[in-house]
Amino acid sequence: MHLLAQDLVNGILAGGILAVVALGFSLVWGIMNIINLAHGAFIMLGAYITYELFTVVHIDPFLSLPISFGLMFGLGYLIQRYLINWVARAPILTTFLLTFGLSLLVVNIALIVWTSDTRGVTTSYSGANFTLGTVTVPWAKLFTLIAALAITGVMQLWLVRSKTGRAIRATAMDVGAAQLSGVRVAHIFAIVFGLGAGLAGVAGTLISLSYALNPSMGDPFLIKAFVVCVLGGLGSVQGALIGGLAYGIIEAFATQLDVTIGTQHISGSGLQDAIALIVLLIVLMVRPRGIMGRATA
Amino acid sequence: MKFRLFAALGAVALCMTLAAPSLPVSADANTIVFGSPVSLTGALTKEGHLTQEGYNFWKDYINAHGGLKIGGKTYKVDIKYYDDESKNNTAQDLAERLIDQDHVNFILGPYGSGTSFTVAQLVERKKMPMVEGNGAAEKIFSQGFRYTFGVLSPAKRYLEGILDMARHQKPAAQTVAITAASDAFSQEVAQGAAAYAVAHGMTVVYNNKYPDTATDVSSIISALKATNPDVILNAGHLQDALLVQKGLKEQNVQAKAYGYSVGPDTPDFASSLGRDANDVFGGAQWSDAVKYKADRPGFYSTAQEYAKAFIAAYHHRPDYHNAESTAACLAFQYALENAGTLDPEKVRDALSKLDVTTFYGILKFDSRGLNVYKPMVVNQIQNGRLVTVWPQFTADAKPKYPTPPWGQR
Repeated sequence: MHLLAQDLVNGILAGGILAVVALGFSLVWGIMNIINLAHGAFIMLGAYITYELFTVVHIDPFLSLPISFGLMFGLGYLIQRYLINWVARAPILTTFLLTFGLSLLVVNIALIVWTSDTRGVTTSYSGANFTLGTVTVPWAKLFTLIAALAITGVMQLWLVRSKTGRAIRATAMDVGAAQLSGVRVAHIFAIVFGLGAGLAGVAGTLISLSYALNPSMGDPFLIKAFVVCVLGGLGSVQGALIGGLAYGIIEAFATQLDVTIGTQHISGSGLQDAIALIVLLIVLMVRPRGIMGRATA
Repeated sequence: MKFRLFAALGAVALCMTLAAPSLPVSADANTIVFGSPVSLTGALTKEGHLTQEGYNFWKDYINAHGGLKIGGKTYKVDIKYYDDESKNNTAQDLAERLIDQDHVNFILGPYGSGTSFTVAQLVERKKMPMVEGNGAAEKIFSQGFRYTFGVLSPAKRYLEGILDMARHQKPAAQTVAITAASDAFSQEVAQGAAAYAVAHGMTVVYNNKYPDTATDVSSIISALKATNPDVILNAGHLQDALLVQKGLKEQNVQAKAYGYSVGPDTPDFASSLGRDANDVFGGAQWSDAVKYKADRPGFYSTAQEYAKAFIAAYHHRPDYHNAESTAACLAFQYALENAGTLDPEKVRDALSKLDVTTFYGILKFDSRGLNVYKPMVVNQIQNGRLVTVWPQFTADAKPKYPTPPWGQR
């Protein structure tokens, strides 16, 4: 029984990170209709920014959050404005290829700059934990979850309340109408892509606390971002949050699922990914727009 | 205009990374060209680069010492690499390209059991000898392949040494928990360890696997913790080893010994974890403490000489991935010398009859092409430094056992 409680906690803690991982990816996909395959590479860059700040200037990973957001936002803005914008209205395959190439480019540059060495951000409080009844909670992961919740909260508020946020939502609904109302669509697209990259950077920072760094570290997260944002619903902040938490909890519980059929022993933990994808399929059959997604006209 | 230039530059850079130039290898008659698809990006990037270092170290030695003498003729050696992105099918495609388009003479194996397996299937079709030093899964060697030779001890034996050590300590370890990645190599390592434990009177209290792409293993750690094991073993790769070790501390799991199939031997393990890496055991194919003496000239004759020269060249201690990769090259070197020709069929036969001792240990293959004659060693990180602690005849330090609590390491 206490394992179930522990798994729930593990799942929520892991899900918080996945929510931030998926948030930027979801915004870019939902608003610009670009499946950004460089998202994993951006996450990796965010993690390395944190690593450099931590080892060279001794800035705590949590304090480096705004820095990795800012730097990655700038990079994302420039990439959209001067590279992706050229093909913004092209068929999805073109942007697919472009962001795939971008990902290869970024990963290979990272290989040259940081080599293939695996590195870790190990803080003084790394591994510190407290016990609540029978449940052990690591502090670093708890703070990560709090940061993840705060980031999604701020994003949601900003999108709903701010002028730029409203312009972004208007653009997502109808590019033509937004343009006619005076929204500078190119600028908005660049901001959205910048946000996507910035949030990837933030996710990288949070991930670096628990997951080791190397130039290819973004790959598994890109796949998870994809699943989480389809699960939760495209382009919405709540969707990413709910999708991320759901994915984290499903994975955690899948670990304890051990089935023996005849002589065949099936280990749930080995099938974590498969189980998460089966849940995704079921959600898509029942609610094709995702848990939080709205039907579009 | 400026923007146009920027975009054009971007496009050029993209094309450069997307399409690696396929220049033909300068296959002049005096050069033996080896081809190797190796993981330069992807999940096994680090190990792939270690493999490449091991190969290049041998190549540079041979070329600096005048080349290889084969059948009265002297040859320089060259190695043509492609990046297999740590993907099994890509490795196979690239090996085909190396053989058919680049016309390499022989294949040196990729990193990892998955890639080695797909490439082994291909070299079998092409009748092209391959020596590999980085795919230890027996699956590769149980297919009746004739052209694939592995210089390493089989996967099953990776963690045996740690269990052997732990049951000879006081208090002797009695219960074992095993976590493993789901790839073929890690699964064989886990099965071997579990079988060994049972055969020696220990109880396996937990044995479970996680996907290769796992980014969080905390629920596995929770389940493992509930079984309160004496020894915790992980069969996986560097990234998951780090994930498990961090997770064990996060959930305050205390055991008498912690052992990994891959991880502690790579300097990155200690540099990533700092003090939390201390006292961890690692099963290893080789360490620079082993006491073999080569019985043939043509390369460094002891592990210590090898390590010294390697540090001078690459500025880090060679780990076993480096050494086993170099050993794969040595197998070719001595087999080529024995064969006296570059003819693939004759070189294959020479490989199958090879029996030499090198700085790395014995190089001799059973009928499946697997080097079952060389024992594994157990290393431990003690105060940030990797030392060899088992088997006793080759150890340069005593095992630190039982492991002190977290925070006192």
